[in-house]
Amino acid sequence: MSEPVLRARGIRKTYRSGDKRIEVLRGVDLALRPGENISIRGASGSGKTTLIHLLAGLDSCEEGDLLWEGRPVRPGKGGLARRRTTFLGMVFQAFYLVPELNALENVLLPARIAGVNIREATERARGLLDRVGLEERVTHLPTQLSGGEMQRVAIARALMNHPRVILADEPTGNLDEVTGGVMMDLLLSVCAEAGTALVLVTHNRPHAERMERRLELHLGLLNDTAFAPPAGPPSGGETETGEPDQSG
Amino acid sequence: MPWYFYIALKQLFPTGRRFHFFTAISTAGVMLGVALLIIVQSVMNGFGHEIRSRIVDTNAHIRVEGGSILRDWEAVRAEIASDPAVKIASPYAHGVVMAQKDNIPAFPLIRSIELEPELEAIPVERYLRSGHMDLLDDDSVFLSSGLAFTLGARPGSVIEVYSPLMLERLKREELLLPRELEVVGIFESGWQQVDDNTMLVTLRLMQDLYGLQNGVHGIAVRLHPGHDADTVARRLNDRLPMPYLARSWMDTNQDFLFILQLEKHVLFFLMLFIVVVAAFSITSSLLITVVRKTREIGLFGALGGRPREIAACFCFQGFLLGLAGTGLGVVLALTVLHFRNDIVSTFAQITQSEEALRRFYQFVDLPVYFEVRDFVVIVGSAVLISTFAGLIPAWRASRLKPTEAFRSE
Repeated sequence: MSEPVLRARGIRKTYRSGDKRIEVLRGVDLALRPGENISIRGASGSGKTTLIHLLAGLDSCEEGDLLWEGRPVRPGKGGLARRRTTFLGMVFQAFYLVPELNALENVLLPARIAGVNIREATERARGLLDRVGLEERVTHLPTQLSGGEMQRVAIARALMNHPRVILADEPTGNLDEVTGGVMMDLLLSVCAEAGTALVLVTHNRPHAERMERRLELHLGLLNDTAFAPPAGPPSGGETETGEPDQSG
Repeated sequence: MPWYFYIALKQLFPTGRRFHFFTAISTAGVMLGVALLIIVQSVMNGFGHEIRSRIVDTNAHIRVEGGSILRDWEAVRAEIASDPAVKIASPYAHGVVMAQKDNIPAFPLIRSIELEPELEAIPVERYLRSGHMDLLDDDSVFLSSGLAFTLGARPGSVIEVYSPLMLERLKREELLLPRELEVVGIFESGWQQVDDNTMLVTLRLMQDLYGLQNGVHGIAVRLHPGHDADTVARRLNDRLPMPYLARSWMDTNQDFLFILQLEKHVLFFLMLFIVVVAAFSITSSLLITVVRKTREIGLFGALGGRPREIAACFCFQGFLLGLAGTGLGVVLALTVLHFRNDIVSTFAQITQSEEALRRFYQFVDLPVYFEVRDFVVIVGSAVLISTFAGLIPAWRASRLKPTEAFRSE
């Protein structure tokens, strides 16, 4: 079995609200193999977005380790930002396209931040927009695109720097069911073509069930059929997908 | 181009969209501040330039004096004239006399001039309001406009002149007869010190009135254009024997020139606050942008942008706003200055103050003089202040964590 491209060990995260301490993550373990796709489901407020931010190195945890391609990730330390540009692609529920940039310029943004040759990157960006079916929309501004088209641009942007992992946080959350389904098809196929691992955070059970591995975040613990530690989550013996919980 | 400069440009000048309202207001603030600074400084320069040229015209570039009467002045004049920077070196005598017409006395300054304009360091002909150089001889006089007004004299009038030498004669109980001189011209230089109380006569008459025989009080020097009077004065002092001393017009008027310069600097300092106020509007506009674009700032961080690059993005926007405002301000100032006389004339017509302008300020045409150094200082200050104005928003943006930004919806 190949080495995990992304590994989280014993991740703990606590928020403070006045005198209260809210332990959102209580020792999350996760290992993501190259090209693998997994889903993480959980109720609202269960800490899914917090986990995604931690996996992306955007936030720091109180305890635990995060490794990207075997190398430790320390948020706030120099060099992490640049590592992120080529290691990670992110897709968000609200698309987060830059309104002043057209579709092509939005897709090119990660390449600009990474400092790669823009002429070559432009060819790739056009190719990615072709791949997501927006070859006729390259010069359109986000305000001239539909929700589905904006998410296609966001997917193309996430793939721009040949990332090893794509973290998708509710990518279909703002789309209707049909468009959401199409978007999932697209996301899975482009990741498969590129050999990019995919972590999908979603509420949507059918979308989650299309993933190779389905995890559930419940009471601060991640139930992973293959890698989760036996932390004894009080979620019963089954995940929401109906599969036996093998975390314990 | 680094991505943060690219984003800064795109945020300020979005493709296919209008200039943002807040951006336009901030730019307009800087534009007005810069325009006002350039207009005020250029007009101040214009007045200063006029005053300086009047000082030079009425005092010459350099005066060489020896503390008393110069007897061997012709040799000294030859020595001075041999300097390549010197255009004209003319001898002069000056002093104070008592002038009287119809029992109205005055105590004007009296100065001699050469009758040939090409031999005279002071261009008297340029300032003659009536009369002509050819009319001046040993029995006539040119009066300044102020003195003519005081005495009630005009061309053709005869005035009586008493010199200090006559006092000596009076002590010896000699008969005291004033010198009668015909007024043959009225001059007005625009330099009040001269115009209020001066009379011009021939050197021979002045030597006679003061009993100088062939002597003079000094030599006035006019330079070829482009030469620095201080430098030439120093050079002459190295060459001339004691007790001759060459002093430039800057040296003899240094206090007045200092006041002129100080006035200009104080005005610049006060006017600069307009740019500072405009810079606050840039800060406010960029802070609004930071708040409006919180999620995008988070996105830049999530895509690998470093905090200092995000800060540079907003600092660069301040710089660009300053640059745009300054550029527009320069254009506006040049346009206003180009049409200044029309503007002043319209203002004078509306306020019916044309005569007052002419009488008190001696102009209806506003003098303007552009100095490259002023432009550099104004443009540099405005751009620098605007860039600093971007620092607070930049600092705010750089401290924004992507996780907080994404939760800010």
